[in-house]
Amino acid sequence: MGPKKPVDLEPTVLVKSLHVGFAGREVLHNLNAKFNRGWLAVVLGRSGSGKTTFLRALNRLNECFPRSATRGSLKLKLQGEWRDIYRNAMPLPELRRRVGMVFQTPHLLPGSIADNLALPVKLVLGVPRRNIASRVEWALEEAHLWDEVKDRLNAPAHTLSGGQQQRLCLARLLALEPEILLLDEPTASLDFRAALKVEELLLSLKERYTIIAVSHSLSQARRLADEALIFRDGSVVQRLSREDLQAPDTLQALLEEIF
Amino acid sequence: MIKKITYLAQACSWLAVLTTVGMILLFLGFLGVRGFDTINPTLFFGNTPPWGAIIGRLPVWHGIWPACVGTVALVLLSSLLAIPLGLASGIYLAHYASGAWKRWFSLAVEVLAGIPSIVMGLFGFALILSLRKTVAPQANTCLLLSAGCLALLVLPYLILMTQTALEALPDELRQAGLSLGFTPWQNMVHVLLPVAGRGILSGVILAVGRAAEDTAVILLTGVVANSGLPSGILDKYEALPFHIFFLAAEARSDAELAQGFGAALILLILTAALFLGAYYLKSTFTKTWDQKNLSI
Ligand SMILES: Nc1ncnc2c1ncn2[C@@H]1O[C@H](COP(=O)(O)OP(=O)(O)O)[C@@H](O)[C@H]1O
Ligand SMILES: [Mg+2]
Repeated sequence: MGPKKPVDLEPTVLVKSLHVGFAGREVLHNLNAKFNRGWLAVVLGRSGSGKTTFLRALNRLNECFPRSATRGSLKLKLQGEWRDIYRNAMPLPELRRRVGMVFQTPHLLPGSIADNLALPVKLVLGVPRRNIASRVEWALEEAHLWDEVKDRLNAPAHTLSGGQQQRLCLARLLALEPEILLLDEPTASLDFRAALKVEELLLSLKERYTIIAVSHSLSQARRLADEALIFRDGSVVQRLSREDLQAPDTLQALLEEIF
Repeated sequence: MIKKITYLAQACSWLAVLTTVGMILLFLGFLGVRGFDTINPTLFFGNTPPWGAIIGRLPVWHGIWPACVGTVALVLLSSLLAIPLGLASGIYLAHYASGAWKRWFSLAVEVLAGIPSIVMGLFGFALILSLRKTVAPQANTCLLLSAGCLALLVLPYLILMTQTALEALPDELRQAGLSLGFTPWQNMVHVLLPVAGRGILSGVILAVGRAAEDTAVILLTGVVANSGLPSGILDKYEALPFHIFFLAAEARSDAELAQGFGAALILLILTAALFLGAYYLKSTFTKTWDQKNLSI
C-alpha cells in the first residue's frame, strides 16, 4: 500500500491551541493537530506525556473527572458538518457515541457478551428489539470476533480472553456507528499474537473511519501508522510520515526520545 | 519462631470462627429446644378456629397470629418508606453531591445513625402529641407512625450501604458506559446499580432485620399487647418483638413463657423468610435485567 496523496484526504479533526488541566495543573499545553478520515494516526510518547488526556479531550471524557478544565478549539467533522465540540455543538451522549473510545484495559459492561453489545445499541441508538440481534452479529463480524463467540453469546463477557475482550469493546463501538475511533494503547495488555489480530482489525477498519491510536510500541507504530505524532510534556513535538518512520536514523532518534 | 507465631495465629482464628459458630448454634439450639414444641396451631390462633382467624373474621385472644401479621405489615410499610429514600440518598451522596453539601449531608446521616431507637420512639410520641395539640386533635399512635419512625431508624444503613457499594465500583466501569454515550442516569440504572446490587442488598437486609426486631420505637408509637389484626395503617397493632418482651416480663405461667420461646422462634423464621425474599427479589431483578437486554 503506497502513501496517499494529501489531496485524497478528508480532514475530520482540527485541534487548535488546546489546553487541558486537572485541579489547576495544566497537562496539555497549546496543542495543535489535524487528523483525517481513512488515515491511521499513531500517537507516541513517554508515559505521563498526556496521550490519554488528549484522547479524552476528543470525546469530552475528561469532564468525568473532578476539576478538569479545557480551553482552546476542538473542531470535529461529524455527519459532514464541522462542529466545535466545546461550544455545545451536540449533546454529550451523542458526541460520545460518534467519537468512540477503546481503553488501555478492556472496560466491559456487566453481563454477557451479547449484553455488552445489545445494551448500548438499545439505550443509545434506540434500535427496536427485533433488529438488535442482527446488529450484534454485524458488529461482531466487523470486529473479527463472530466465529469465536457465536456459540457462547450468553456467556459472561469476562470469560473471554484479553484479546477477545478488546475486540468485543471495538465491536461495541462499531455497533454504534461512530465516525472517529480513539484507541488508547489497545494492545498494551495483550500478548503478541492477540495484538497482531487487533492490528489487523484496525487496518481493515481504517478506510472508513478516522482512527487515532496511542501506541506503546515503536514497531507497532511502524506497522500501522500513516503518520505518527510524538508527544512530550503535553505538546506535539514532532510529526513523522510513514516514510520517516521506516528510515533507520529517525528510528534511533525516536527510541531515545520515547524510551 | 515465625512458624510458631503462624500456628498460634491460625489456632486463634480457628477458635474465633468456632466460637462464633458455636454461639449461634447454641442460641438456635436453645431456642429450638424451648420453642419447637410450642409451634402448633394453638400457638398462633389460641382457641379460635384457624381459618376464621386467618381471614380476620374471628378475633384471636391467646395466639400470636395478630402479632405476626402486625410485624410483617410494619416491616413492609417501613421498607416501603425507607428503601426508596435510602437508595436515592445513597445515589445522591455517591455521585452527585460534592463539597460542602456532601459534608453536611454525610454528617446528618451519621447523626441519624447514632440516634438510639428509644429516642426515635420518643420523637414519634412527641410528634403525635404536638399534632394533637395543633392541626389534628384525633391523631393517635398507630401503625403508620411506627413504620415512619422505624424507617427513619433504618434509613442510615440503607444510605451508607448504597453509597459505599457505589463508591467501591471501579472508575473504569463508570467511564465505559459514559464513553459509549449513556446518559449519567442510564449509566446509573443499567450499569452501576446492577453491579452494586449485592452491596445494596446487604443494606436492605440489615434494615429489614433491624425493623423486624426493634421494640423500643414501637413501644412508644402504637404497639399494644392485645388488639387483634390491625384494621388499617391508622390503627393500633400487635408485633412479635413486643409480644415476646411482654411475655418475658409478665408471664403468669410456664405455658405462657413457653409461648414466648415459640414466638421468638417464629420471629427468627419470619426474619429469615424476609431475607430470603429480599435475596430472591434481587436475583430475579438481575435475571430480568439480563433477559431484557438479551437479544439472541
Ligand atoms: N483524572 C486526572 N486527574 C488528575 N490528573 C490527571 C488525570 N488524568 C491524567 N492526569 C495527569 O495528566 C498527566 C498525563 O497523563 P496521561 O494523559 O494519562 O498520560 P499518558 O496517557 O501519556 O501516560 C499525568 O501527569 C497525570 O498525572
Ligand atoms: Mg495513558
